This record gives sequence, structure tokens and C-alpha cells, in this order.
Amino acid sequence: MKALRFAKDLYVGEQVDAAVKVYGRFGTLELAEDEDAWIVTVDAQTDARTRRLAGELANYALGLTIRQHRGEGAS
Amino acid sequence: MSEPLEATPHAFVRADREDGSVSFVVDESVYPLEAIYGATFTFLDRCFVFLGREGEGQVRVVLSAKKLPIADDELRGWVGELANELLACAWRGRILEQNRATIEAVTSQAIGGAMGPPSLDELEDFDFSEEPFEDPLGIAMSWEEKYGKKDKSQGGETEGT
Repeated sequence: MKALRFAKDLYVGEQVDAAVKVYGRFGTLELAEDEDAWIVTVDAQTDARTRRLAGELANYALGLTIRQHRGEGAS
Repeated sequence: MSEPLEATPHAFVRADREDGSVSFVVDESVYPLEAIYGATFTFLDRCFVFLGREGEGQVRVVLSAKKLPIADDELRGWVGELANELLACAWRGRILEQNRATIEAVTSQAIGGAMGPPSLDELEDFDFSEEPFEDPLGIAMSWEEKYGKKDKSQGGETEGT
């Protein structure tokens, strides 16, 4: 199990949600929130899969966030 | 466990060899967030990228290998490339900001030109009384005066003979 803290001033919440929706079918993803961050708990069959799923999820959320900041929108 | 990475600034860079990752603390007063986004975007195809808050005005960039194990040399290479890319993105952002007025003026002129010739109403409102340019020494000469056919009664010569 691995927990990712997406800082609210660095990531766009809608894009973190979008990434969770895309990668949800590859493992167990749980969303939570505190004052400063959205927290996604990632779990998959093995540690290696968990690590990869967390990494791909983080890349996707960051990519969408950057696209939104550039005004390219997200689709 | 994170530890310093040889030949990198220890105050900013830590490596976690077990996890195959390297982290880099970036000061936002030096590299704006847009530069951090721009620089990290170029790493998305090579490694897993994660941004975290380190402290007030500081962002921790974590680059993790997609495939393990990974050599220290490659981690060091990522750190160097990230630093270069950060500087390039910050500099590009500053140039863009400084030249924003010029870029907007050129763009608006280009768009204005593409809109086609002015209408009769616009021409009617145009002020033609204004002198085209100042000529305090009186040396300016019109195209007709310089190259046009001269009157035969004033000398009989024509241009080009």
C-alpha cells in the first residue's frame, strides 16, 4: 500500500480525480482529503504493481494539471 | 532510505536507491511554479514524477525510475537535466513576460491586417491632413519628381537617357 499526497496548491483537484478514474481499474484507489492535500491510497496485487500504479497515476495527474495551467484544457 | 547523491548539491538533492528515486528541492523564488511545471513535464516519458510541498516557497520534485534497478549515474543525469531545464524554463518565462507588450502589438497588427481592407466608413473617418513625416531640411522628393518623365519645355530630357 502506498499513499500519495497531492498538494492542493500544486495539483488541480479535478485532474487528480480524473487520474483516479482512469487508473482505478488497475488496483484499489482510495481518495481522502485534508487541509493541504488530496490523499490517494494505492494498493495492487504486488509491491511492484503498487509502485507502478502510483507512479503512472502521479504522472497522469501532473500531466493534466500542467495542461490545464497552460490553458490547453483536459480531455 | 534517502541519502545524499554524490556529485550533487547535498542541501537540495537526496537519493533513495532502494526506491530508485531522486528528489530535488526547488526554491520557488528562483524558479517560479510555471518553470517547475515546464521542466517536470519533459520527464513524464522517462520517469515517474511527483511534486510535493517541502516548506514555504519550496517544492520537492521526486523523480522515480520506471524500471528497477537504476544506476546512480542515471539519477545524477536526471538531476542535472532537471536543473538545466528549470533554468531554461524560468528564463523563457522571464523573456516572455518582458516582451509581452511587443508580442501583443505585433499579433494585433497581424490580425488587423488579416481583417482585410478598410470600409468606406472607416476611410471617411481617416485623417489624411496629417503630414506623412517631418522634413525640416526640405530634402524629401516624391517618386514622380525623382523618376517621372520631365516636361520637354524644361529641358527635353527624359529619365533613363
